[in-house]
Amino acid sequence: MNNITKSYDTVTLCGRTVPYQQVNNDGVRMEPQFTEFLYRDSILWITAFALGGLAFALGPIAIVYLLMPLRTRQIINKRDQYIECGMDPIGDSWIRYGVVFYLYALIFLAFDVDVLFLFPVAVAYNSETFSASYRDFIEIVLFVGILSLAVVYAWVKGVFKWEKRTYLR
Amino acid sequence: MGKTNIPTIEEGVPSSIVQFASLDKLLNVGRANSLWPLTFGIACCAIEMMATGCARFDMSRFGAEVFRPSPRQSDVMIVAGTITKKMMPGIKTLYDQMPEPKWVIALGNCAISGGPFAFEGQYSIILGADQFLPVDIYIPGCPPRPEALLQGIIELEHKLSGWQRWNDPQSKEVPSL
Repeated sequence: MNNITKSYDTVTLCGRTVPYQQVNNDGVRMEPQFTEFLYRDSILWITAFALGGLAFALGPIAIVYLLMPLRTRQIINKRDQYIECGMDPIGDSWIRYGVVFYLYALIFLAFDVDVLFLFPVAVAYNSETFSASYRDFIEIVLFVGILSLAVVYAWVKGVFKWEKRTYLR
Repeated sequence: MGKTNIPTIEEGVPSSIVQFASLDKLLNVGRANSLWPLTFGIACCAIEMMATGCARFDMSRFGAEVFRPSPRQSDVMIVAGTITKKMMPGIKTLYDQMPEPKWVIALGNCAISGGPFAFEGQYSIILGADQFLPVDIYIPGCPPRPEALLQGIIELEHKLSGWQRWNDPQSKEVPSL
C-alpha cells in the first residue's frame, strides 16, 4: 500500500505518478488505468508476452528442424508406410465396419442407469417413511418404465440379435 | 536380395542444416545416454533381451530401457534372433521407418551369421542381419547373456559418441606389489 500516495490528486502506478482521476471529453471522470498512455503500456506488455509465448511454442520446432537430419537411410523406401509393425497393410484404414458391439455398449447405458438409480431405492424402501403409501411405488414404476423404453426401442430395432448388418450404400 | 540399395556403415549419418562440432559432440553424448531400442524380438535371443530390460540386469542404468513400440520413436534396432526370409521384408520396413540417427545391433549368432542354420540345403533363413542391414555392433552367443547385451550397448555408446562410460581396466597398468 506504500506506493499509493496519500494525496487524492496523484497516484503512483507502474512507477509513474499520474493524476488520480482524469476527465475525458464528455466531462465524465475516468479511472486512471483507462487513460491513454497506460492503455498503450498494457498493449506493449500483452504484445511482449504474446510474442514470448509464440517463441516458446514455435522455437523448439524451429530448433529441431535446424538440428535434425533431413533424410533417413532407406533400404526398400517404405518410410511412409502407415502401419508400423513392418507388415504391409491390407487395404485402407478408412473402411466401414460392423457396429454391432457399439450398439450393444450403448444399450448397456440404459441398464446401467436403471441399476444405478434403483440401488438407493432398494436401500431406502423398507423404511417406514415409504411403507405407508403406494405413491412411491408408482413413481418407481414410472421411472423404470420410462427408462425401459430405451431397451424396448433397441429390442424393436433388433440390437439384441447378434448378426452382421448390411446397409445399402 | 537387392544388395545394391543397402546403406553401408561407412556412409555415415545424414547431416542436418546447422552443425557445430562441439554441439554435435554434446548431442551425441546425449544420444549415447538415452538409446531407445525398438521393441522387436524375433527369436529366442529376445528372451535374453527381455531379461536385460528387467530389474535383475537393469538396462536403465545405461539409459537404454525405453523400448519403443513404434519404429518412428526408436533409434536402436536390436535384431534379436533368427531372421527368416518371411520376416526379412518386415525388418527392412522397420529399419526404413526409424528416424536418423539410427543404429543396428545384431544380437546372437543367428543375427550375425545364421548360427546353427548355416548348413547346406537350408532354404528359409537369412544368414546374418548384415546381409541387408548396416550392422554396427555384433554380440556373439547362442543366446548371449544379458551382460553381453549390456556390453554391446556400452560399445555402441562408445562408437557413436567417442565417450566412454568408464576407463578400460585392461589398459591400466597393474600396480606391482
